[in-house]
Amino acid sequence: MSVAASPPPRSSVRDAVNDLRYRFSIKLFLSELLSKNWMEPIVPFLLMVALIGYFSATVPNYTSLDNTQQLLRLFAEIGLVSVAMGFVLISGGIDLSVGAIFAVTNLAALILFKSWEWPVWAVALGTLAVGAFIGLINGVLVGYLKARPFLTTLVTLIILRAGFDMVSEKYAPRFAVSDIESDVWDFLGGGTILGIPTNALALLVVLIIGHVYLSRSRYGWHIMAVGSSRKAARHAGIRVERVLLGTYVLSGLLCALAGLFYAARQNSAGSDTGQGWEMQALTAVVLGGISLAGGRGTVWRAAMGAVIVFLLINGFVRLGLEGYLTMAALGAILLVAVGFDVKWAKNRGKAIQKIYVNPTRLELKQAPSIARGSASPYAENDRLSQAEVIGLGQVEGPEDVILDRQDRLYTGTREGWILRFSGPNFEHREVFARMGGRPLGLAFDKDENLVCCNGGMGVYGVTPQGEIFKITDETNRTWGKLNDDSRLRLADDLDIAPDGKIYFSEATIRYEMHSWDMDGIEGRGNGRMICYDPATRTTRTIIKNQRFPNGVCVAHDGQSVLYVSTWLCRILRYWIAGPKKGQLETVVEQLPGYPDNLNRASDGGYWLALAGIRSPAYDLAMRKPDFRLRMVKEIPRDEWLYPGLNNGCVVKLDADCQPVETYWDPTGKLHPTITSMREHKGYLYIGGLENNRIGRIKLPGADPDWTGWESYWGNKQNSRVRPTSGSGISAVS
Amino acid sequence: MSIRISQRLAVVLGAAAFAAAGAAGAAETPQPSKGGVELQQKAEALRGKTIAWVPVTLGFPLADEWTAVMKQEAEAAGMKLVVRDPGWNATAQLQAVSALIGDKVDVVVVQNPNVQLLAKELKRANENGAFVVQVNMASNHRADAFVGANFIRIGQMLGEEVIKACGKGSGTSGKVQIVQGELTATASLDQMAGLMAALNKDDTIKVVSDQAAGWDANKALDITSSVIQQHPDLCASVGFWGIMQAGAAQAIKAAGKLGKVKIYASGEGSRSDCDMIQQGLFDKFVNYNAKQQGHDIMQTINFLLQSGQKPGSLYIANFSELNWLDKETGKGDACWDLKK
Repeated sequence: MSVAASPPPRSSVRDAVNDLRYRFSIKLFLSELLSKNWMEPIVPFLLMVALIGYFSATVPNYTSLDNTQQLLRLFAEIGLVSVAMGFVLISGGIDLSVGAIFAVTNLAALILFKSWEWPVWAVALGTLAVGAFIGLINGVLVGYLKARPFLTTLVTLIILRAGFDMVSEKYAPRFAVSDIESDVWDFLGGGTILGIPTNALALLVVLIIGHVYLSRSRYGWHIMAVGSSRKAARHAGIRVERVLLGTYVLSGLLCALAGLFYAARQNSAGSDTGQGWEMQALTAVVLGGISLAGGRGTVWRAAMGAVIVFLLINGFVRLGLEGYLTMAALGAILLVAVGFDVKWAKNRGKAIQKIYVNPTRLELKQAPSIARGSASPYAENDRLSQAEVIGLGQVEGPEDVILDRQDRLYTGTREGWILRFSGPNFEHREVFARMGGRPLGLAFDKDENLVCCNGGMGVYGVTPQGEIFKITDETNRTWGKLNDDSRLRLADDLDIAPDGKIYFSEATIRYEMHSWDMDGIEGRGNGRMICYDPATRTTRTIIKNQRFPNGVCVAHDGQSVLYVSTWLCRILRYWIAGPKKGQLETVVEQLPGYPDNLNRASDGGYWLALAGIRSPAYDLAMRKPDFRLRMVKEIPRDEWLYPGLNNGCVVKLDADCQPVETYWDPTGKLHPTITSMREHKGYLYIGGLENNRIGRIKLPGADPDWTGWESYWGNKQNSRVRPTSGSGISAVS
Repeated sequence: MSIRISQRLAVVLGAAAFAAAGAAGAAETPQPSKGGVELQQKAEALRGKTIAWVPVTLGFPLADEWTAVMKQEAEAAGMKLVVRDPGWNATAQLQAVSALIGDKVDVVVVQNPNVQLLAKELKRANENGAFVVQVNMASNHRADAFVGANFIRIGQMLGEEVIKACGKGSGTSGKVQIVQGELTATASLDQMAGLMAALNKDDTIKVVSDQAAGWDANKALDITSSVIQQHPDLCASVGFWGIMQAGAAQAIKAAGKLGKVKIYASGEGSRSDCDMIQQGLFDKFVNYNAKQQGHDIMQTINFLLQSGQKPGSLYIANFSELNWLDKETGKGDACWDLKK
């Protein structure tokens, strides 16, 4: 393979400006913003803010204390009923009887207070009990008798309404002329605490408790789970019947609370009490972004939707729109809004996808020559074509390979397994550990535990007995960053310092294992270097905004950590001890290809895998972010220009990381996409992300006793170390 | 209107005075009477006042006529009439009243759907300096004026008529059906009280059904259909509002009992009421004349605004004139046509 040298890139002020322009991207911010869960109901939220804004601007004294109090007072009950409906909807059901429960409990409260003359506290308890009981009936029917919630609650609605009419005929005229009064009763109905009407305060408390309940408690999660998929919830061991029962009881309770406040406020049981509230509440919660299909929503969304519906009705009334027109206009607006919301919920993912990929400008220096026969240390050869084959067809994607003190060969595979090959010719294959995720970089610690970076899971260890244990799966969250970046998404490679600290790279925090190639199209500094300290059991990000940090290797002297940046084609050094501690410097600035794993060699140097070779075309594309964006948007994926990650080589570096020689398989038949190599007792073992085998070549002249473990923890420590001071080419800011 | 009349009067008087002075040969500018100027100033003071009007619903002759009359008279007096139509929605009505109080109107005029719903808000209206006029259906808030029918009296009138037709010696079953409106509305509560007081005087009268149709003709039709089936010998059906009772009348007509079952109602006396009477669907009808009531409302407002009293300090009853309509009297000018 011969590659023409790419033309020297121009360096100018314009480039610098361009660098800046592409480093900070508003789209990046937007895409992260959109992918937040709390952005899901953004449309209803904006609608609500717009409505409040509009009325504040057009209606005099709208935001005055008096008017605000009045609005809150009027709103609280329908708010409570909407939250009740919200809970049921989230659990995957529907409660059409909320309006009727509200009316019945309102009547119950009035009968208890005005006719039976109970004390107010007893009235409150009695009313809530009535609500809970009706909810219980709904819950038993829906949860245990498996009745359809729509029809069941519709029937409950009819029965309750009829009962309400019958009972109220008897009692209602009495309330109208009743003289029973109580200060506590009046306070419930018309009092304020710190200027907030009592019923609105109750709503607020319900919202806060409801939020914690739904999003932070086991029961709340159960409701969500049942709503998302009843079958899956049952399989997960959730008592679906009980959860449903609880939800309907909760709905009944909330309606009763609303009924109680309404009774105290209005002292009346007009026949239209709560009439149509089920539809109003239903529209409100759907408008607020609670899915009719269940499993998705928060109490805030229910409240938000209720505010919108309430403000609309209130606004139309204020505008003097005629009664039937109000309802028609409301219906029309809700139809549009619900349609929009549905579209939004459906297409949000697509919208994020459209703007998620944000290529940035990346300028690489001219690549060193790899021309065959040239004096370049990178000159192409055929030295890998004679490699011995281990585990052909028995291994799928051995990204990293490592050998233990007993000469057994380990590798992580696509299936999420750690395989172990043993025997004189590695003919014995066994699954050492079933880890899951995508095992990537490997290392042995002092106790001969196999420590593994796992894409999608974090950093895990396996004891020599094959027991898996978690080391870390999260780091500190970046302050002020929208996306919670504390979870490890794509831990890539690791190495262990003499003090036991694990230094590992996370290639990217914006993409997953299955879409890591998109990170290459983007070329942004999405990765980071992280350190896990076993002494304190803490994980801290030490270097942020790295462009696909990949292979990690602790230098022979244990003073620094070497790591590579795949898209920058660089080797960097981070000092962890000595006078330069904490400093970062670039060791090799221009590699001819995309570096992957980096490991120690027996002679005090290092081995570096180049997963692919740079091409002038792609180097140019990396300087043209707009071009890459158009490519991603406008042409199918299989026609995209990708970094050439199909054909690479193993580079032998000296102690200063300068290239000495290379090992190639230019055909790419035996060893395409070389991602790792490991020296062990005079042999070099070679792995590849997409390969179906592990390769081995004899290293003439290499120390036949040298093993990785001995080099780190045994009698080969600091072997043939040469001073490394002053080897840095340039400091990286 | 009063302003226009007084202005015209002044012109006419002025012209007459001028003519007289011309005849006398003097050239002095004529002066109006001192009282005349003061009255004019009083009427002028009403200009710019805002009246807020919230009926239970528009779209029926009753409230539409009230609204039309009020609008015309308010405009003539230079006052602003703000109308809100809750469309039977009590919650919306409450919100509307609440909002209007916040808008600092001068007079709040309401038709209460029940005695409780608006009571607290009306009290607040008084506290905020607005006069309250309650139309036809009052609330537990007792200020500043009630304009409308005396429903206790209407109940009595209906009861007495029922006894005449179905009571002792009438040779009928004595079975009476009552179609109430909204149970907790004063129009229903009071008519019921008056009616029962009258009916209880005759022990042959049996009230076989006493249900609330919530001012809804359809519901009245449903209720009456089943009552007729249970009591084919029903003697009379009494409904508390003509529009609603029309449903009961249709049920009686459908059962082929028209003429056999006496149908009584009270109402606003619109053209449709007279039509019902002429078609034999109502036998007797107590008319409280909404057209006149509209005028009464405005007169009461005029009075309140000029009274110099603090809102909330008065409680005036301005009862409407009641008269019977039947096949003889219930036609022509006896009923009014809706103002366009």
